[in-house]
Amino acid sequence: MSTRFTRRAVLAAALAGSVSLSAGISYAQEETIKVGVLHSLSGTMAISETTLKDTMLFLIDEQNKKGGLLGKKLEAVVVDPASDWPLFAEKARELISVDEVAAVFGCWTSVSRKSVLPVFEELNSILFYPVQYEGEESQRNVFYTGAAPNQQAIPAVDYLMNEEGVERWVLAGTDYVYPRTTNKILEQYLMDKGVAAEDIMINYTPFSHSDWQTIVSDIKAFGSAGKKTAVVSTINGDANVPFYKELANQGIAAEDIPVVAFSVGEEELAGIDTEPLVGHLAAWNYFQSVDTPENEEFIAKWREFIGDEDRVTNDPMEAHVVGFNLWVQAVEKAGTTDTDAVLDAIIGLETPNLTGGIAKMLPNHHITKPVLIGEIQDDGQFEVVWETEEVVPGDAWSDFLPESKMIEADWTAPISCGNYNTETKSCGGAS
Amino acid sequence: MITKTLLRAFDGKAIWVVAILIAIAVAVPASNLYLPVGHPLRVPNHFVPLLGKYLTYAMLALALDLVWGYCGILSLGHGAFFAFGGYAMGMYLMRQIGDRGVYANPVLPDFMVFLNYQELPWFWYGFDMFWFAAIMVVLVPGVLAFVFGWFAFRSRVTGVYLSIITQAMTYALLLAFFRNDMGFGGNNGLTDFKDILGAPLQAGSTRAALFAASAIALALSFIVCSAIVRSKLGKVLVAVRDAESRTRFLGYRVDNYKLFAFTASAVIAGIAGALYVPQVGIINPGEFAPANSIEIVIWTAVGGRGTLIGPIVGAVLVNAGKSWFTGVFPEFWLFALGGLFVAVTLFLPKGIVGALAQGWTALKAQRVSAQAEDGSDAAPEPSPAE
Amino acid sequence: MHPTRLISKLLIALALLIAVAPGAFAQDVESLVSALPEGDYSDREKVIFDLAATGDERVAGLLNALGEGDLYVREEDGRVIVGKRSGRNYTLTDALTGEELGTAPSSALEKIRVNNRLRRAVRSAIGQLTLMSPSPSVRLRAARSLLRNADPDSLELLDTALAAETDPQVKTMMETARAGIIVKTDAGIEEKVAAIDLLAARGDREALAMLTGARSSAAPELQPVIERGIAGIERELAMWDGLQNVWYGLSLGSVLLLAAIGLAITFGVMGVINMAHGEIVMLGAYTTFAVQQVIRTSFPGLFDYSLAIALPLAFLVTALVGIAIERGIIRWLYGRPLETLLATWGLSLILQQTVRTIFGPNNREVGNPSWMSGAFDLAGLSITWNRLWIIVFALVVFAVLLAVLNRTPLGLQMRAVTQNRRMASSMGIRTPWVDAMTFGLGSGIAGMAGVALSQIDNVSPNLGQSYIIDSFMVVVFGGVGNLWGTLVGALTLGVANKFLEPYAGAVLAKIFILVFIILFIQRRPRGLFALKGRAVDA
Repeated sequence: MSTRFTRRAVLAAALAGSVSLSAGISYAQEETIKVGVLHSLSGTMAISETTLKDTMLFLIDEQNKKGGLLGKKLEAVVVDPASDWPLFAEKARELISVDEVAAVFGCWTSVSRKSVLPVFEELNSILFYPVQYEGEESQRNVFYTGAAPNQQAIPAVDYLMNEEGVERWVLAGTDYVYPRTTNKILEQYLMDKGVAAEDIMINYTPFSHSDWQTIVSDIKAFGSAGKKTAVVSTINGDANVPFYKELANQGIAAEDIPVVAFSVGEEELAGIDTEPLVGHLAAWNYFQSVDTPENEEFIAKWREFIGDEDRVTNDPMEAHVVGFNLWVQAVEKAGTTDTDAVLDAIIGLETPNLTGGIAKMLPNHHITKPVLIGEIQDDGQFEVVWETEEVVPGDAWSDFLPESKMIEADWTAPISCGNYNTETKSCGGAS
Repeated sequence: MITKTLLRAFDGKAIWVVAILIAIAVAVPASNLYLPVGHPLRVPNHFVPLLGKYLTYAMLALALDLVWGYCGILSLGHGAFFAFGGYAMGMYLMRQIGDRGVYANPVLPDFMVFLNYQELPWFWYGFDMFWFAAIMVVLVPGVLAFVFGWFAFRSRVTGVYLSIITQAMTYALLLAFFRNDMGFGGNNGLTDFKDILGAPLQAGSTRAALFAASAIALALSFIVCSAIVRSKLGKVLVAVRDAESRTRFLGYRVDNYKLFAFTASAVIAGIAGALYVPQVGIINPGEFAPANSIEIVIWTAVGGRGTLIGPIVGAVLVNAGKSWFTGVFPEFWLFALGGLFVAVTLFLPKGIVGALAQGWTALKAQRVSAQAEDGSDAAPEPSPAE
Repeated sequence: MHPTRLISKLLIALALLIAVAPGAFAQDVESLVSALPEGDYSDREKVIFDLAATGDERVAGLLNALGEGDLYVREEDGRVIVGKRSGRNYTLTDALTGEELGTAPSSALEKIRVNNRLRRAVRSAIGQLTLMSPSPSVRLRAARSLLRNADPDSLELLDTALAAETDPQVKTMMETARAGIIVKTDAGIEEKVAAIDLLAARGDREALAMLTGARSSAAPELQPVIERGIAGIERELAMWDGLQNVWYGLSLGSVLLLAAIGLAITFGVMGVINMAHGEIVMLGAYTTFAVQQVIRTSFPGLFDYSLAIALPLAFLVTALVGIAIERGIIRWLYGRPLETLLATWGLSLILQQTVRTIFGPNNREVGNPSWMSGAFDLAGLSITWNRLWIIVFALVVFAVLLAVLNRTPLGLQMRAVTQNRRMASSMGIRTPWVDAMTFGLGSGIAGMAGVALSQIDNVSPNLGQSYIIDSFMVVVFGGVGNLWGTLVGALTLGVANKFLEPYAGAVLAKIFILVFIILFIQRRPRGLFALKGRAVDA
C-alpha cells in the first residue's frame, strides 16, 4: 500500500460525510412549513410506530386539502431512527437544524423521549409526544398528548375495585421505567385504600418475554387465595401476544381473573385471536369503537387515506390528532411557526377529543382527556364499560409519590417552570 | 526499546494517517467555531458531534480489528467494552448534574430518587471525580476482558465457540443492565447530562473540544495499534491467527499473546465509549445489544480487516451511509444496508481498503515489473479463524 | 315424575326462595326480555336473575347468547334478537323463539352490552337452569359453574339435583360444589367439617381458594380443621409444582429445540454462521399466516387443518428460499465461514424489511386450531394442548431429521461432503447439489419450526431476531455438528431456566443460564457432545 492511496481513502470518507450534509441542505428553500416525523420504521419499535408515521402523513395531507397553514403548504419530513435511542437524538438534531422543521411529532418509548429532550431544549424546537407515559416530567419544549398516570392507571384500578370487587392485585409489567412508575404509584394508591401488602404481587419481565408459563401459573396460584383477584398489566408491546395466548390456554377467563392492560390497544389485538380473551380490560383515552361523529369521520377518512377498509385506529393516533390540531391552532393564533410564539399561544387552546369532551392544553403541557375502560370483544375491538363523567386533566407529577407530590409544572408566567416546588416556592432544578 | 517500537509505528503510511487525523482534529473545530455561519467551508453545528461519533466508532472498529484482523479472535461482544467505557463516563456526567436534576437531590441522580434509593450505591462512589472516572473507563473494560480472556484462552476456546460466548457475555450484560435493580438506570440508561469538567455540554466549544479529543484519541490508538502490529509481538499475533497450533508448538505462549491483544483492544474500545457518550448525550443498555457488536464486525469487514486503515474507513463509511439513508430513504434503507453487506462479502472479500490496495498493487505491478513485496504486507490474506 | 316437570317445579321453588324482586314471578319471559336492554349493568343483572327464575326452557339459549355477546336490539322496532356475524352483515334470529329474521347491517343493531359481572351472573344462571339437563356433560358444566360461583342461593337446587344424579363424575362435582357452598353458609359445625374434609380431599387450587376464602369468617373451632386442610393441599400442590416445572422446562426446551434444529444443520453440519436463520423461521410463520388467511376467506371449514396444510408449504417455501440463498450467496463463501456471518446478517436485514414491506410492520393474527387450544389436567398437572403438540412436533422433527441424516443416501452424502469435500467429490458425489440440498433441508426445517412458533409467539417481522441468539447458544452448548447435542442442550437449558425462574425471576434466570453457558464452554471448549478426530481442527 502506498501513501497516496491512504490519502485517497480518508478523502473518500470525508466526501461521504459531505454528501450527507449537502443532501440535507439542498431542499431547504421551498415555501413550505416543514413538520418532522420522528418514528421508528425499522427495528423493534416499528411494530407500533409505523402507524403513527402514517397518521402524521394523513393529518398533514388533510390540512393541506384545507389550504395548508398560514397560506403555505405543510410538508412532512420523515426520518427513521430505527429503534436506536442515540439515533433518535441524532435524527432530531438533523430535523431541527438541517431541515428546519417547525415542530416534530414523534417518539414512543420513554428512553427515546429522554434521548431527544436535551436536543429540543438546546435548539429550542417543539416535540409532540403521543404515548401514555410515566409522568414525572414536564419540559418546556415538549407537549405530552398521551395519558399521564392519573389519566389511565388510577381510574382503571378504581373501576376494578368498585365494579368487580377486586381485593387482590397482581401488578405485572415489563422492566422499564413506565411500568416501574405506574406500579409504584398504584402500590401506594392501593395501600392508601387499605389493601394489605400480601395482597399485592409485583412481577417484572424482560422486553419481548415470550415464555409466560411460569408467570401465568403463578398468577393462577396467587388468585386462588379466596379473594377476587385482578392483574394490572403494564406489559409492553410484543410480549403481550404470548402472554394473552398463555392466559387463554391455561384457562384464565376474564370472569375469574380479569386483566386490565395499559399498553394493549386495537393494533396489538389485531395480532391475536381475541375469542378467548373476551372480557379482559384495557384503560385508554380513546377506543376505535367509541361512537361519536368526530370519531366516525376520522376513521372513515383514515381508512380512505390508507386504502384499507379494515385498518384499526388506536389511542396514540388520537393523541397525534389532538396534538396536531392544537399545534395548527397555535400557529394560526401566533401567526408564525416561531417556537417561542407557539409555546405561548398553545396554552389554553382547545380542540374536541375524538371520544367526546374537549382536549385543552394545560400550563403543564399535558392535556385534558376522558378516561375509558373497555372490555375486549371477539372482533378485536374494545367495548366501553365505564368512562369518567368529565375530562381528567393530566398531572405531570404524581400526587401519590412522596418525592413528587409537592412539585407542580406551570409553563406560564410568573412560574414558567417544569418542576416548581410548592413548598420551597422555587424551581427544583436549574435555577 | 519502547521508543523504537513507537518510532517504527511511524514509518510509511502511518504517519500520513496520523497527520490527517490531527489535521481534522484542528480543522473541523476551527472551521465550526471561527468561520461565520453560512460560509461554504463552515462545518455546521449539528455535524460536529455527528463526525465525533463516527470517529469514536472508528476507534471501536480499530480495536476490534486488532483482535480479529491480526489475531483471529472474532469477538461478537466488543460492544460490551465500549458500553462499559460509556457507562463509566456516563456515571461521571450524572454526578456532575449535582442538584440540577428534577428532584434537586444534590447526591442522588434522578432515577435513584425515583426508585427510592436512600443512599448512593457503593459502585457509584468516586465517579464525581473525573480522574477516577477516567481510570475506570480504562480499568473496567480492561479487567473484564482480562478475566474473560484469561479463562477462555487458557481453556483453548477458539473460533466459533469463542465468538458465541463473547456474544453470550454481551447478551447477559444487556439483560442485566436492563434491570432497574442494577442501579444503572435500567432501560432509560443515563441521560440529561449537563457539563463535563465544568464546561457545558451544549456549548459549541465543548463539542468542538470533544471532537478534537476523539480525533486525537483515534490517532493515538492508531499509533498504538500500528506499533503493536509492527513489533515482534505483532508478528506472533499474525502467526497465531494463521496457525495457532503451529505457533504453540514453536514454543510461544499463545494464550498470553491473545490475552494481551484482547485486553488492549478492550481498553481502546472503552476509551472510544467514554468519548462517545458526551457527544450523543445518552448511554443505555441498548449498546450491549448483540446486534450492535455484530455491526462493529461489519464495519471492520467492509473497510477491510487485517489493515489498520480499513476499520476506520469502514466505520465512517457505513455510519455515514446509515445517517444519510435513514434520512433520505427511511423506508428502504435496510435494503441498501443489507445489500451492501452481501455485496462487500461477495465481491470485496478483503474490504474496500483491501480491494483498493490489491488493485493498486496490480496496477503498480503492471507499470513497474518488479515490485510486489510492499503489497503483500499491506493486505495480508485474511484467513478464516477456524 | 317427568324430568322437565320436576325442573320447572324446582325452579319455581327456587324463585320463591330467591325472591329478589317480589314482582319477578308474575312477570312473563317476554316482558323481561324486552327489559333487558334498558338500564345499567346492575339493572341488567337483576333481569338476568329474574329470567333464570322463570325457569322457561328458552331462557338458557337466550342467556347463552347474551354471555357470548350475540344479543342485539333491532333499532327499528326494539326487538331483542340474536345476531351472528356473516361477512359484513348479521344473520338475525328471534332471541326466544329462534324464528329466522333475515339479515341486517351492524348499523341497524344495537348491542346489549355485558361486562364481566354480567357474564358471571349469566354463567351461574345457566348453571342453575341446566343442572337437570338430560346430558351428563351439560350437567357437569353446570355443576362446575356452580362450583366457581359458590352461590348459597343455589344450595337447595343442588341438593335436589344431587339426589337425582346417577353419573359418578357429575355427582362428585356436585358434591364439591355443595361443600364449597356449605363452608360459606351458617350450617352446623359437623356439616361444615365434612365439607372442609371433602374440599381438602379434592386437593386442587380451586379447593384451596375456597378454604382460604372461608378461613377469615370461620368459627374459631373450625380454624384448625381449615388450616389442616389448607396445609394438606399446599403440600400436595408443592409436590406437583416440581413436576409442573419439569413440564414447563420441557416445553421451553422443545421451543428452543425447534428454533435451533434447522441451525444445527446449516451451522452445525455445514459450518455456515447463518444469521438469517431467524428470518427463515419467520418466513415459515408468515406462510402459516398466509395459509390461514386463504382458509379464512375461502374455506372456513378447513381451519382446523390449517397447520397441517401450512407445514408442507412452509417447508417448501423456506427450503426454496434456502436453496436460493445457498446458490446465490453461500456457495461463494465456502472455506470462509466467518464471512458467511456478514453476508447472512445483511440478508437477514433484507428479509426483515421485505416482510415488513409486504405484510406491514404489525403483528399478524395466526389462530390456534381448536385441537391446540385449552388445557387438560393430568393428575395434579395442568397441561396446555399447544405446548403438548409442540413437544411432540419437536421430537418428531428431530427423529425424522436424524433418520434422514443417518438412513438415507442424501444424508450419507451430506455427511461425506461436510467431512471431506474433496474426497467426496472424487468419489463422484455432486458436491454443489448436496450443498444446496443440505442448506435447503436446514432452512425447510427452520420454516416448519416457524409454523409451530406462530402458535405461541408474535408473528411479526421481529420474530426471527428473538430466537437467533438462543438458537446459537443451544447449538454451541450442545456441540456443533451433533444433533443429539442440540436435543440434549435445548432440553437442559429449558429445564434449567424454568427451575431458576421461580427463585430468581425471569431476567436473572436467563442471565444465569448465559453465564452457565460461558463457564461450561471453558470446561468443554467444544460443547456437550464434542466431535472428535481430525475434522475438529480443520
